[in-house]
Amino acid sequence: MTNVKVNSVAKTYGTTPVLADITTEFADGSFTSLLGPSGSGKTTLLRIIAGFIKPDQGLVMIGNNDVTDVPVWGRNIGMMFQSYALFPHMTIAQNVAFGLERRGIRGAEARRQVDRALEMVRLPGFGDRTPKQLSGGQQQRVALARAIVIKPSVLLLDEPLSALDRRLRQEMQVELLRIQRESGLTTIFVTHDQEEALTLSDKVAILDKGRIVQIGEPETVYEKPLTRFSAEFLGDSNFLTGAVEDGAVRLADGSLIKSTSILPATGSTVTLAIRPEKMAIASGSTAENSIKARITTVIYAGPVLSYHLETADGLPLKLFAQNRDGTVLKEGDEISLTWSAQHTVAVAD
Amino acid sequence: MKSLGRFYLIATLVFLYTPILVMMAMGFNESQLYELPFTFSTRWYDALWNNKILLTAGMNSIIIALITSVVATALGTMASVALSRRTFRGKSLLQLMLLPPIAIPWLITGTAMLIFFYWSGIGRGMHALLIGHVALAIPYVVLVVGTGFRTIRADLEEAAMSLGSTPVHAFFSVTLPLLYPSILGAALFAFAVSLDQFVISYFLATPGYTTLPVQIYSSIRKGFTPEINAISTVLLLGSMTVILIFARFAKPGDTRDKR
Amino acid sequence: MRNDQLTLAPARGPSGPRNGRALPPWVSTTALLMPTYGWLTIAVFLPLLTMFAFSFLSATPMGKAPIVFTLKQYRAFFDQPYLVGIGITSLLIGFWTTLICAILGFLAAVALVRSTFGKTREMLLILILLPFWTNGLVRVFSWTMVLRENGFLDSLLHMVAPDAGSIGFLYTRYAIVVGLVHGYLPYMILTCYIALVTIDDAIIEAAASLGARWWTILFKILLPLAAPGLISGAVLTFVPVIGSFMEPRILGGRVGVTMGTVIEDQFTQAFNWPLGASLSFTLLAVVLAIFATFSGVLRRGTAA
Repeated sequence: MTNVKVNSVAKTYGTTPVLADITTEFADGSFTSLLGPSGSGKTTLLRIIAGFIKPDQGLVMIGNNDVTDVPVWGRNIGMMFQSYALFPHMTIAQNVAFGLERRGIRGAEARRQVDRALEMVRLPGFGDRTPKQLSGGQQQRVALARAIVIKPSVLLLDEPLSALDRRLRQEMQVELLRIQRESGLTTIFVTHDQEEALTLSDKVAILDKGRIVQIGEPETVYEKPLTRFSAEFLGDSNFLTGAVEDGAVRLADGSLIKSTSILPATGSTVTLAIRPEKMAIASGSTAENSIKARITTVIYAGPVLSYHLETADGLPLKLFAQNRDGTVLKEGDEISLTWSAQHTVAVAD
Repeated sequence: MKSLGRFYLIATLVFLYTPILVMMAMGFNESQLYELPFTFSTRWYDALWNNKILLTAGMNSIIIALITSVVATALGTMASVALSRRTFRGKSLLQLMLLPPIAIPWLITGTAMLIFFYWSGIGRGMHALLIGHVALAIPYVVLVVGTGFRTIRADLEEAAMSLGSTPVHAFFSVTLPLLYPSILGAALFAFAVSLDQFVISYFLATPGYTTLPVQIYSSIRKGFTPEINAISTVLLLGSMTVILIFARFAKPGDTRDKR
Repeated sequence: MRNDQLTLAPARGPSGPRNGRALPPWVSTTALLMPTYGWLTIAVFLPLLTMFAFSFLSATPMGKAPIVFTLKQYRAFFDQPYLVGIGITSLLIGFWTTLICAILGFLAAVALVRSTFGKTREMLLILILLPFWTNGLVRVFSWTMVLRENGFLDSLLHMVAPDAGSIGFLYTRYAIVVGLVHGYLPYMILTCYIALVTIDDAIIEAAASLGARWWTILFKILLPLAAPGLISGAVLTFVPVIGSFMEPRILGGRVGVTMGTVIEDQFTQAFNWPLGASLSFTLLAVVLAIFATFSGVLRRGTAA
């Protein structure tokens, strides 16, 4: 069992709190993404788990061991860095064997394990080359091989794909997922790329200002955001604010919006989040909710049309529509938007 | 515009190198009074071989430069490790303290050393010269090695530690091998700084123990012969060679590309 | 592979290879820094302090004369008015050397950045800097070969006009300035080059597309952008120049009396160490004032 637990971990630099009392668990064999803007504390959390940073308070557990006071080199972690961090003065094989050597594995056994790790990342026979002779994507694979060959208790990835171009990044995502599944390593992945987080992870943790604001499976976090921040940071959202009335929400313009979320007490103010792709242009039959708006900008992106709209109150809205029949609405068109109560999520501010 | 620029650069080089080349040529001229027409002769170089004073001074210079290079490189590299890779209070003050040996005119530093060494009983001579030369070379070593450190990403050491290296092992197995060119460059640089140092040596040398530049200076003031041109040529070519080798390790003025 | 198998890896201890504990970091940091700063203290900082103390002594403590603390060494500027004249000479030599270096060096840096590239530029840069790192004394000496009567300059002239007189100007202040410019020009080129090389070509193209002619580009774009390099180059030229003594001595002869040579004399000829110390310290005060004034630019200049 090598799950990872952090318990009431906090870190302050000078007077700026970077992490405020984080408690969470990363299950054995799971792939968790730490997602957040820069300065949210995601990298700090990863580096605390790695042991590069000592938390001011709290515990870090890897498996059943309290490693809070164990230095990096005693934690048996595998780590991938944004810059690959391959040792430029060593061959690929020497790079991969570095951690094995530190564990007393040398000679034929080390060679066998290095070869197997390079095969796993699909770079068999690259052992004698130097990092300089490899492309960025290949270097990244070597870094992965070097991190997993030591059979770490946990694999920590610090934005390792951010330096790659888009196509290569997608390739590496598939590769990373395959290797993670094969090895069954508990993996923690720091990223600021929401799409990457959604595609790769079993769980996504959204961090804001040093706190985990939401953690859960990607679908849950996306479909049922708990806060305005997570609704906005993960994907796009429209927000409507009103007062709770008869189990629904009364907007300023008088219209009543229904939601399947649990709403606060009657009379209190609540914010509702609706994903732009969950809205549709009303044509005859309408879903439970609707609102009128005027198109301000049309963005034609091929398969998807994205409209920026404005309600009579000046509230900005977004709508993503599938380009089914090739009709494109024009700026200035007045339309009615409709969506279901089930896609209307009450969020905390 | 391009050709005008190139012409100007060539003119600059002519200005920089003409006196040096003239000086070198005169070392091969027969006439003792530098009279023209030019008659090729190696008599001044032959005379050099028999000039015990200049040869001894030259030997002293080389020995001092060697010792300075080794000591300053060792000390400066150690300091550079702390200044480049550690965070601690008062670091910027320590960095500032490296500047006086470089930035204060050597005349001031040299006379100050003379006073202090006399007053404290350290005295003058070889050991005093060594103390002075090492102090002047250390800041350059810290600078050159520090530049080398900046080309080595800190996360290489972190990667090593994540794989099980202690900080000490990470330093010796990852950072130091990558730092060798810079350290070697710094050693060459320290050698050149010491070899060419005149002002400090001038105040700390004794009549019985001088270095080549000090000896050249007193010869120039006494009235010189082409023998001085000969030994100057040797000294100049020697330090140019050292600097060119250094330039192969660390390109001066072009450090930004490596960061 | 499953995790329960992975834990069978021959790791030392339950959680990794070694549970080694490092010393507190300040111990090793201090150990690393001690030798260098100890050395600098003995070789530079204590000497400067001692010199400061010496500058208040009434006489060099070598003879039998009683030593008392006095400010008289600092009154020398009033008691011996010729020192003021020498001070002004030093400042003037510093001013002209710096100005000429700045103009020639800036233009050379512009030429390097705008007219050369790649390997050629790299080689030119090394060629320009090479003399700077060779023996200054020898370079000053080499100018005597050129500037003296019947020297190289005269020979060149006599090839064109055999009957002309001598134009050699060794042992004049001009000779001192020429020698000093020769010494510090490479450094000025380097600092200007470092400032200029970061300028994006697009900026100049943008200016040209807006109708700027070359002089506008030179004075309105390149000069302001090179300013930090120019200033740090100027400071690092001016400071050593006002402290120079072998250049005035060798190239100036009898007219080459500057602060530097006067200080040298106090230590090597007159043996009036307290006066030498007070003059050195006055010079140091000027130097520190210059550094303090330009510290912001210098820091940015060297960080560039």
